[in-house]
Amino acid sequence: MKYTLIIAGSGGQGVMSIGITFAQSAAEGGKHASFMPTYGPEQRGGSAKCTVIISDEEIISPLPKKSKVLIAMNEQSYKKFIPELEEGGLLIINSSRVTSQISRADIKLISIPADDIALDIGDARISNIILIGALLGFTDILQPDVFLSSIEKKFAKKSPEIIKINKAALDEGVKICNALK
Amino acid sequence: MAKQFMKGCEAVAEAAVLGGCRFFAGYPITPQNEIPEYMSSRLPEAGGIFIQGESEVASVNMVYGAASTGTRAMTSSSSPGISLKTEGISYLSGAKLPALIVNVSRGGPGLGSIQPAQSDYLQSTKALGHGGHRLLVFAPYTLQEAVDIAYDAFEYAERDRSPVMILMDGCLGSIMEMVDLPPMKELSNQNTQGWKVGYDGVKRGARMITSIYPEAGLESNNKNSAAMYKKWQEEDVKVEEFMLDDAEYVVVAYGIAARVAKQAIMQLRGQGCKIGLIRPITLYPFPKKSFEKLNYNNIKAFIDIEMTIPAQMYDDIDLLVRGRAPIFEYGRSGGILLDDDGVTDAIKKVTGGQA
Amino acid sequence: MMEKIYSRPNCIVPMQSGYCPGCLHSTATKIIAEVIDELGQGHNVINVLPVGCSSMGLLYWKIDMVGSAHGRAPAVATGIKRSRPDSLVFTYQGDGDLAAIGLAEILSAANRGEKFTVIFANNSTYGMTGGQMAPTTLIGQKSTTSKKGRDAETAGHPIKMCELIKELAAPVFVARYTLNNPQNIRKAKQGIKKAFQYQLDGKGFSFVELLTNCPTNWGVEPLDSLKYMEENTMKYFEQKVFKDEEESK
Repeated sequence: MKYTLIIAGSGGQGVMSIGITFAQSAAEGGKHASFMPTYGPEQRGGSAKCTVIISDEEIISPLPKKSKVLIAMNEQSYKKFIPELEEGGLLIINSSRVTSQISRADIKLISIPADDIALDIGDARISNIILIGALLGFTDILQPDVFLSSIEKKFAKKSPEIIKINKAALDEGVKICNALK
Repeated sequence: MAKQFMKGCEAVAEAAVLGGCRFFAGYPITPQNEIPEYMSSRLPEAGGIFIQGESEVASVNMVYGAASTGTRAMTSSSSPGISLKTEGISYLSGAKLPALIVNVSRGGPGLGSIQPAQSDYLQSTKALGHGGHRLLVFAPYTLQEAVDIAYDAFEYAERDRSPVMILMDGCLGSIMEMVDLPPMKELSNQNTQGWKVGYDGVKRGARMITSIYPEAGLESNNKNSAAMYKKWQEEDVKVEEFMLDDAEYVVVAYGIAARVAKQAIMQLRGQGCKIGLIRPITLYPFPKKSFEKLNYNNIKAFIDIEMTIPAQMYDDIDLLVRGRAPIFEYGRSGGILLDDDGVTDAIKKVTGGQA
Repeated sequence: MMEKIYSRPNCIVPMQSGYCPGCLHSTATKIIAEVIDELGQGHNVINVLPVGCSSMGLLYWKIDMVGSAHGRAPAVATGIKRSRPDSLVFTYQGDGDLAAIGLAEILSAANRGEKFTVIFANNSTYGMTGGQMAPTTLIGQKSTTSKKGRDAETAGHPIKMCELIKELAAPVFVARYTLNNPQNIRKAKQGIKKAFQYQLDGKGFSFVELLTNCPTNWGVEPLDSLKYMEENTMKYFEQKVFKDEEESK
């Protein structure tokens, strides 16, 4: 098992923080994992992108040309990074913000209005968790429980309310994708 | 050993502290800011000193001052900042002071780009300042290797009374991986008692630490350095030789480029290509013996892969290969990173005779 | 029985000075050594040497010393003092070293309130390199790079370091003295002693400027160099205590 995963969006959408938490969670769950924020000349203008690799084997190169999964949190990052999704790869979009018609036919698409769901749950900042939940629901990268315990650890010093709302977001994402399987 | 998922800059900083670093001075420059930021809170915890200097120049000279008292002292920067530090690095070498310098390199020349690049091989191995001195230069390719090297760096520096450099590019500085952290070192066995300045409760003759010598003294000091550099070549080379036994193609790469190259090599081996890797871990001393023992009857080509253009290791390889096989180079620069497919394709061009 | 009333300071090497005849670096070197002796700090002092004539102290002082790069002595002293807070640490710097190439280091160390002492020998010239214009060269004063005399239009005015440093919040003692005659030399020595004592008491940054001469590069006889100081240097660079933490309390 080896997943390479691009998470991209705009600054403030929690791209880096979800990437770090996800990679750390996998590493602490016994997988090999790496997180790399990538800065290229194309990266200027407020966009954020990171590459996460999760694998059963040792990770040699952290610089894949193409990834198995792309989580696009906004329109701009979808357009920029869709060429980096490999054939047969999985595209997860935040359809609250990605408005383009998805043109590639060689990929699997999961479209989730994550911003809208986040607002329904009660916090605009948890779209990223919903999208990761979708990924965990659809694939076998990581058990949702393992990820949840990392979230609990991360927010241990904050209010229980934050943990509750993050759990709700994760559950919602997982639920949507379980239904798709 | 404590396992921790850490960012490269922070991992190397923590390993230095565990290895005895008790003084850090540095100046902000991307992409190494996480080192001074980490040290600003970590060192006071460990009973050490953190100073944000007014410049790279001042910072390396603060390290020079701290090192003269026998304190394990470190600075870090990124390429343009290392250029500024080279004055102080030359003085550290001249005054025979141990210290650790970390370069998290970025694109150059000039202001270049803040993105990762391996643009400082020549500077690191040939001219870290005026005067023809050398440093042990380590180039780790994983965070664990960076941790292990930083942990032991001060022992090398104190053994030789010479500064040590760790060269890691911006990718290694910003990547996060799991590392095993070793235990905090005891400082009681420090090898500085015979020369450091400062009163330690026992009156003794006055001591002087300086890089200015009367003529005869300077030459004898330089001769000692020359002998030391030869000894490094004999005893301190670190290198990884990967799948070289039957290799027809030999990739030479260090640091992040070696990770990308290794992945490509494993893929190409799967396709029946006889290809291997020489990965210098010490850039200086360069792993000459790895080149000397190759079977040149077998070898069709070398490929020098670096995240910089033009390739900077090329001349060192060329001197060892001595025309016995062609040497090709592949790199990216200007903030564009090497990637698996790009490197694999570049190698295939050579093995397919299209390069 | 004769009483011994004068002897060479303990922390001076018994040898003839190599400073040019009439050069007041010799005097400064001696009074600093006397103060170190009087404070009983010979074993505990660390001097940071600069680049220029003031680095010649490496031949004459019998104390722990660290040689630094041009202008960087305050940064080196910062590293030393922070690592060895109980040591008495001072730099001895000339005007090219301190007020030109090392301006960032001196102002930053002063501003951080580093707890060491800077002794600044100001002779209005680059002595060791052969008499080029210094940041402190007076208007109209000739040098090998201002052959018609310093022109304020292109070279600006001589920089007043005490006046700059006294404006910073952190320094605890800032004073300028002159070494033109025995009375003023005694005052200077008292100033150095006060600065060192403040340091030993754990107070902040102290800065002592000494107006000196350079008969060789000024191209005058030693006695005439003193006259030049009195008529020019000492009129431009006011001698006084600019800042004294104790007195301002």
